[in-house]
Amino acid sequence: MDNGRPAWVKVLIPVLALGGVGVTAVLGFVMVFIMTAWFGNPLPVFGFDQSPEQPIAFPHTAHAGTDPLVDVDGNTKMDADGNPLTGIGLDCTFCHRTVTTTNAAGIPPVETCVTCHRVIGATDSEPLTILRTIGLGEDPGPIQWKRVHRLPDHVRFVHEPHIRFLTAADNTDVIANRDEAAILAGMNSDGSVIPAVACSTCHGDIKSQEQVSQVEPLKMGQCVDCHRKNNAPTDCTTCHF
Amino acid sequence: MVTAAERVSSHKWGMAVDVDRCTGCQACVMACQAENNIPLSTEDIYRQKRTFAWIRIERYWYGEFPNVKARFIPIMCQHCENAPCEPVCPVFATYHNTEGMNVQVYNRCVGTRYCGNGCPYNVRFFNYWEPTWPTSLRNQLNPDVTIRSRGIMEKCSFCVQRIRRVSRETTRDGRELQDGDIETACTEACPTNALVFGDYNDDKSRVSIMRNDDRKYTHLDALNTDPNVVYLAQVDATGGAAGGHE
Repeated sequence: MDNGRPAWVKVLIPVLALGGVGVTAVLGFVMVFIMTAWFGNPLPVFGFDQSPEQPIAFPHTAHAGTDPLVDVDGNTKMDADGNPLTGIGLDCTFCHRTVTTTNAAGIPPVETCVTCHRVIGATDSEPLTILRTIGLGEDPGPIQWKRVHRLPDHVRFVHEPHIRFLTAADNTDVIANRDEAAILAGMNSDGSVIPAVACSTCHGDIKSQEQVSQVEPLKMGQCVDCHRKNNAPTDCTTCHF
Repeated sequence: MVTAAERVSSHKWGMAVDVDRCTGCQACVMACQAENNIPLSTEDIYRQKRTFAWIRIERYWYGEFPNVKARFIPIMCQHCENAPCEPVCPVFATYHNTEGMNVQVYNRCVGTRYCGNGCPYNVRFFNYWEPTWPTSLRNQLNPDVTIRSRGIMEKCSFCVQRIRRVSRETTRDGRELQDGDIETACTEACPTNALVFGDYNDDKSRVSIMRNDDRKYTHLDALNTDPNVVYLAQVDATGGAAGGHE
């Protein structure tokens, strides 16, 4: 098989081939990253994590959910009497109070947490101790919650009309990521629904998430698609001003 | 449910300025600056001839000393129906929307400044620098309005954030939008009601009545820009009309 090539060329050819494959792989990964970030949520690398760790681990499962709670090992949590612990099923608007009236859903003040956690919860729990210290007016400063669902600065999103539309009697079939049982349970006599079941359209099933992550891309295409389908205005100044 | 076709034709926003009432107090200029997060025009920027004012008061002197009169004309974006700024934009960052407004979409703008060159009224402003405010004014910024970054054009938006807010509130409360419900920052601040904002599609609105007034004129109408901002000429004490345009 000696066709006259020097030995160093025989070494160089596979090196170049492998290098080409490597470069192609890196470029391909970058392309995939850019495409996923463009059309949806970016891949959770380079710090583009859609589920940031919060300063105090707030489990929406325990507060908003109604399912049995499981610990990190997958075992069902039990109370002192040996009964399984379940989430308490708070309505979203119990804490995110301004969602039906204003732009922002709002993060509740620590006083709201301490309303219950003054008595509920272990006395030696570190996050609860922090809560109680702040909530009772002694100051280690505010809790620096990390924002999960964030829109760019040039977008003016207002929660109020969206909640109003999705909870109206004729529009409940627009709710996406729906939980049929919750919608039926939250339906009023006139066919409208309570605000809490509409959140899933953009935020996904928050009450089953131990640590909240952004599940919908929340890009302009998603907004415009929904606005077109539901005859909502699509003029630029609806959101950009 | 209101269809898209019904919605588009429902409003045509406009402004009427009674020049006879304007005292040149600059309250509208300050109100606009506060409402719309307009960068401060410092001495430094003034020397560069890059000052910002979405609305400005032009001052004209009439007569010979000692019988001199000062006359004032507030000038803001005229929201022209045939706007010279719109066709020159390569990225459709400025366009005419269905409510009669000339819209500037900040996130589309790439900063060619063609629109500013095309505008005969000199009411478009380019952000040559990242806007900054003194620390004491940081909490004054309006959260309803985007802070325009360096490299994009901006201009009077007819306080579209207020239009949207009031429209939302009237829909929520299930009532009709009345004339006078929506006040822009300048009309709200004007102590003599020289500036009036409203809907031309409503025949009984104040702006519609003023637009049919005999004193009505529009600026640079030889250019056929067909502005949505109309002016009522000043009436001289001697009885003759003497506005910016005879």
